[in-house]
Amino acid sequence: MTEGARERLAEAQSELLTALLAGGPSPAGFDERLLRVEARSLLAKRRGIVAMLGPEVVDALGDEFRPLFDEYALGHPRVAGSRAREDTADFAKWAQERGALPEPAKRRWWQRKAT
Amino acid sequence: MGVLDKLGVGIGWRPEIDLTVERLPGVDFVEVVAENLHVEHLPESIVLLRERGVPVLPHAVSLSLGSADPVDVHRVEHLGAVAEALGAPLVSDHVCFVRAGGLDSGHLMPVPRTRDALDVLVANVKTAQANLPVPLALENIAALLEWPDGELTEGQFLAELVERTDCHLLIDVANLHANARNLGTDPNRFLDEIPLERLAYVHVAGGVEHDGVYHDTHAHAVRPEVLELLGELRSRVDPPGVLLERDDNYPSDSELARELAAIREVLARHA
Repeated sequence: MTEGARERLAEAQSELLTALLAGGPSPAGFDERLLRVEARSLLAKRRGIVAMLGPEVVDALGDEFRPLFDEYALGHPRVAGSRAREDTADFAKWAQERGALPEPAKRRWWQRKAT
Repeated sequence: MGVLDKLGVGIGWRPEIDLTVERLPGVDFVEVVAENLHVEHLPESIVLLRERGVPVLPHAVSLSLGSADPVDVHRVEHLGAVAEALGAPLVSDHVCFVRAGGLDSGHLMPVPRTRDALDVLVANVKTAQANLPVPLALENIAALLEWPDGELTEGQFLAELVERTDCHLLIDVANLHANARNLGTDPNRFLDEIPLERLAYVHVAGGVEHDGVYHDTHAHAVRPEVLELLGELRSRVDPPGVLLERDDNYPSDSELARELAAIREVLARHA
C-alpha cells in the first residue's frame, strides 16, 4: 500500500462524516447541494429508525418530534459501535432533560420489560 | 463458478414477510441480512427454507471494508459463522464505508475512487477473505454524492478490486440506475468495464424520485428504468442469480409475485 494511504483516507472520511452528521465544515471539492441531500437523507434514516424503535416517544412529542430529534442528532452524531436502541434511549433522555417529555414512570419506556 | 451456477430468481428474506417468502411461487433462493441473525437462534422460517433446499445467502451491511479503520474481525467472523450455519456458498457486503473518525453514518457511504482508497479497500478485503470460510462478493452502492478528484470510473475501480482480491461481484442494477440519475454515471460503460465473469448475482430494488433525486428506498415498486438495466446486463451475461430486495412498506403477496414475474420476463426477453 502507498505510504500514508490509510492516514490520508482516514482524514478525508472523518472530515466528510463530521460535515454530514455533526454540522462540520464542508470538505473541499464536494457539491454543496449533494452534501445537503446526503445529510438530510442520513438524518431521515436515523430519525425513522428511532421512530420505529420508540413509537411512544413519537406519540408523546407529536409535531415536536421531528425538530427536536433533528436538533438532538446534530449535537449527538452516532458513535461507531453504538446501537440504534441506545440512540433511541439517549434521545428520550435528552428530551426529558429539556422538559419536552414528561418524567418517566417507574419503568422507563425505553427499558425492556423483564422477561 | 460451481455452486453459484444456477441460483435463479430470489427475494430478500425479512422477518416482516417471512410467510410471504415461504409461499411465493418461484423463489429459487433468498438472502438474509447477516447482522440480524444469531447463529444459535435462526428464525424458524429460515430453517424451513433450508430444509426445503432453498439456498440462503448472508448479506452484510456493516463490515465497512472501504473504511480507513482496520477491519473489525469480529464482524467478519459473525458473517462467516452465519454462512456456515446456513450452509451458504457465498457471502457479500458492499464497496463502501460506514464508520470513520469514531462516527457511524448509519448508511452505506461511497469511497473515493482514488488509488489510496483502492489500496486500503484491497487490503481490507483480503483481511476479510482470510477470515471467511466461503468466497466474498462485493456490491456497488447507490451514492448520493461523489468524492472530488476521482482517478478511476466506478467500473474501473471495481474491475481492479476484483483483479487484486479475486472477489466476486454483486451488481445492484437499482444502484446503477441511482448513480446514473444522480451523479451522471454511464451504466453501459460501467457494464463494459466490470468483469462480468465474476458476477455472483444481481440485486433489483424499487425506489422513488424526489426533487430530481432518485432515492434507493427498497420501499417502492421497481421502476421500468431499473428493469431496462437488468435487460441490458442480461444481454451481456447470463447472471447466476437475480434477487429482489424489498425492505419496507411491504405490498401484497401478489404484488411481490408480479415483481418477480417481471424480472423473469426481462431475463427471458434479453436471453
